[in-house]
Amino acid sequence: MKTIENLKTYGLIAILFLGITLTSCNNDDDEIPDAENHEEIITNVKLIFTPTTGAVVEARAQDPDGEGLEELEILDEITLAADTDYTLTFEIMNNLEEPGEDIGKEINEEADEHQIFFGFTTDAFSTPTGTGNISGSSTINYLDFDENQNPLGLQTSWSTGTGTQAGEFTVRLQHQPDIKDDTTGATDGDTDFELTFVLNIQ
Amino acid sequence: MKLYSSLLILLFQLSSLFAQEDNCIHSVEGEILDIETKQAIPYVTVRIKGTERHTTTDIDGKFLFENLCTETNTLIISCFGYCETVCEHNHQHGKSPHIYLTQEVMGLETVLIEAENKKEEGTASIAQINLNKAELQLNPTQSMAAALSGEQGITFVSSGSNVQMPVIHGLYGNRILVLNNGMKHGFQNWGIDHAPEIDISAAHSITVIKGAAGVRFGPEAIGGAININPNPLHLNKTTYAKIGTSYQSNGKGYNAGFETGTGFEKWSYFINGNYTKIGDRHAPDYMLTNSGKEEKSFGLGTRYHLKDFDFKLYYSYIDQNLAFLRSSIAESGDAFVKAINSDRPLFIRPFSYDINEPNQLTTHHLAKAEINWYYADDAKLTLIAGKQLNLREEYDVRRNADKPIINLDLTTSDYQLEWKHPEWLQLDGFIGFQIFNQDNDNNPGTGTTPFIPNYNTNRFSSFIIESKRSGKNTFEIGLRFDHETSDIRGRESNNDVFKDNYSFSNLSTSVGFIRKINHHSTFRTNIGTAWRSPNMAELYSFGQHGFKNSFGLLRYYTNEDGDLKTDKVIAMKDSKVKPEKGYKFVNEFSTHNNNNSHHITLYGHYIENFIYDRPYGVYGTIRGPMPAYIYVQSDAVFLGADYSWKHELTQRLSGTFGLSYLWSKNISENEPLINQPPTSISYQLAWKKAKLGVLENSVVALKPSYTFTQYQAPRTVPPEDLIDGSEIITPESPIFDFKDAPDGYFLLDLSWNFQWKDVQAGFIIKNITNTAYRDYLNEMRLFADEPGRNFLLTLNYTIN
Repeated sequence: MKTIENLKTYGLIAILFLGITLTSCNNDDDEIPDAENHEEIITNVKLIFTPTTGAVVEARAQDPDGEGLEELEILDEITLAADTDYTLTFEIMNNLEEPGEDIGKEINEEADEHQIFFGFTTDAFSTPTGTGNISGSSTINYLDFDENQNPLGLQTSWSTGTGTQAGEFTVRLQHQPDIKDDTTGATDGDTDFELTFVLNIQ
Repeated sequence: MKLYSSLLILLFQLSSLFAQEDNCIHSVEGEILDIETKQAIPYVTVRIKGTERHTTTDIDGKFLFENLCTETNTLIISCFGYCETVCEHNHQHGKSPHIYLTQEVMGLETVLIEAENKKEEGTASIAQINLNKAELQLNPTQSMAAALSGEQGITFVSSGSNVQMPVIHGLYGNRILVLNNGMKHGFQNWGIDHAPEIDISAAHSITVIKGAAGVRFGPEAIGGAININPNPLHLNKTTYAKIGTSYQSNGKGYNAGFETGTGFEKWSYFINGNYTKIGDRHAPDYMLTNSGKEEKSFGLGTRYHLKDFDFKLYYSYIDQNLAFLRSSIAESGDAFVKAINSDRPLFIRPFSYDINEPNQLTTHHLAKAEINWYYADDAKLTLIAGKQLNLREEYDVRRNADKPIINLDLTTSDYQLEWKHPEWLQLDGFIGFQIFNQDNDNNPGTGTTPFIPNYNTNRFSSFIIESKRSGKNTFEIGLRFDHETSDIRGRESNNDVFKDNYSFSNLSTSVGFIRKINHHSTFRTNIGTAWRSPNMAELYSFGQHGFKNSFGLLRYYTNEDGDLKTDKVIAMKDSKVKPEKGYKFVNEFSTHNNNNSHHITLYGHYIENFIYDRPYGVYGTIRGPMPAYIYVQSDAVFLGADYSWKHELTQRLSGTFGLSYLWSKNISENEPLINQPPTSISYQLAWKKAKLGVLENSVVALKPSYTFTQYQAPRTVPPEDLIDGSEIITPESPIFDFKDAPDGYFLLDLSWNFQWKDVQAGFIIKNITNTAYRDYLNEMRLFADEPGRNFLLTLNYTIN
């Protein structure tokens, strides 16, 4: 009897140790996390003012380290010709990656969650007038709309007046998942970018 | 050594005298003998559970209680020094229940006997608290931290209603070691928004050790340790089953659970399961949109017993889906300013059970095998092997909300060998070895830089703890050595790979002393050290997590111009980062006389290289100015006191007064620390009635409490002042917070527990006055009030 008891005991111990050895062999791998496509970070934004005739005007802002503590840089001033009609489009990139990721394309795909809002020095333009729709004072001439016919803002039209102007021009991209409708404004949702440029009209 | 193989006999003569108009006429009388020698055991403390009534056996081992008001009494026998060695050993052998009685019952319907909760081995000289099953099942929907927070010196930090972490004497997170079934709970233990995945309704008891228990339990037990004990799998126990359910009004939450098991002569088992669902909670004035949770858990265990061997196997599983307040997400400086300055959260929607982003999905598996070999009467060898798998997915409000922003698998292996040696030179003690291993892997498909790198950590530890008893004094001394190596593989945000490899070693010590001054008073004191290596978030955080943009210790540096730079990952060997090391001195004095009992705990704690995150300032990003937090290291001092006083006002009415006070300071910079618990006081008035109509054992308790504002909080610098440049912050600027510490608040809670046949019921009202308040230790205080009034009804049905 004693021997059987002992056998049983040692058997159980053997099984347990076997279990431990089996489960302890998976350590010390040297796996590196997979490279990811960063679809959230925006490092470079370019505003492209295309006139009906004449030279294209571009203005760039960049934050080359994305989430890092490095300060944002506004590289150019916006210098527009007086008495001209422009279409404003954007190039929105994440250049942390090689090659850069076109975030503008993605915003366009999720048009029903995004809208770009604008702000500028009072009456800098002949249309729209006022200070823009960040402050809520004027209506922007949107050329693109989401599936619910709400404006997106990757394409807008602008007309400069005859006089010269010196002031500021602000663009703000709001992310409004589940809430975007015809009443949502520049303070609804979260900001994906907000950039202020010096504006000259001459 | 005959003594050790013997059992205690308890002889009771229980008599109910004069059953007349006064109900307090019951009495209990008994004698405590050693079963084998039949010798009387003097100076054994016998207490009536739930009252301050206690006595000690006289020289003939006899005791007597008179004028008891209840027919049913639970006696707690604390045979200090005797039972600790004798009862536990025999009980583990499962020869028979370690205390049993031959009784003559007269006029008493039931006598229940419970052994005093044993102090955790190797930490007897440190102040501790024990919560048993009955206390835990009163409120099965609350978190472990909330369940413990009623005790002096313990509170919790939270990130909303679902994520709550216990705070012991001002320390939390990686400074409190959470032991799940004797093993370090292997989870993503970083940040204020990750709480251990523990289902308290499956726990049998919880022990909180309020001192540096680093020698016994290993790294991270700097501020203390919390041991969650599972079903002990008693042998010789008839089949039992418990079914419980509860409902809470705030969040329309419900819970259902069961536990069943049987103890045969040689083996036993249990099975338990739980389900909890809570919807959006509400503050007094508005809905806390996206604050619900869903939790499923399951556990089982079995034990097989041979003459000298005891085998136990456990498995437990928990699955959680925790919602985080929608209004806590602010993705730009402007939005953050707006969110923290608004009186009401920015997102308020009608009640819903839906859990949307931001939320966390976690699954935790734990398997454990334990062998005890009782190779001699007073010695044993214990081998424990455990494996844990923790899967975590976190979702955030973002353009790719359907993809997890964090997706981690953490595998933890734990092997422990402990030898409780035979008495040697009058020393009682044990020696242990431990191998601990963690393997963390990022799963692909998050569309973002991994917030935490892949890593492998291996730790080898050994320790020895000895205690010596001489008369009324007990001395305890311990020594531990840990060696830990980590191998890191991560990615920077441009997808460049970074790697590092580092190791830390540490020697921890502990010296303790217990003096039993007399039958009423005990003094215990302990000086202990504990350490921990910095966690991965403290080292490698980079960018956004929740509403914070955090930078870890190895992700920033100061250049020659005094500017903070984040353009490279620093190797550990080139950094000034050091492990955290704590020295804690805890003294506990407890005394009780006829109607009063007092517990005083005084502590002093010095922590070298204390790691914490603090607001750093705002910095320009493409989203506009953003608030930034950085991790820093400093030396810190904590001094504090816990006091509780329980007194019997009448036979039925008792009051308990509690006070917790903590003073803390960063002594390297001579400035306050951030997020430290404020002072709190409470008073609980409890009224007991044995029979109330058909209801038995009613206890009605009213608990007013007041939490003071945190006077030691750092100064406030609103983010708008940083954005408009009216306040300039440099790395030398003193610490600040973005918002003032909230005002003090008064809360009133009421509970009524009673029994009706086999049903144990509880009715609780939390925050009766529906006070709107914010808690300094809740990260969500920046955005919303705490939940308002809550009615909670709990029913537990036991079938024996």
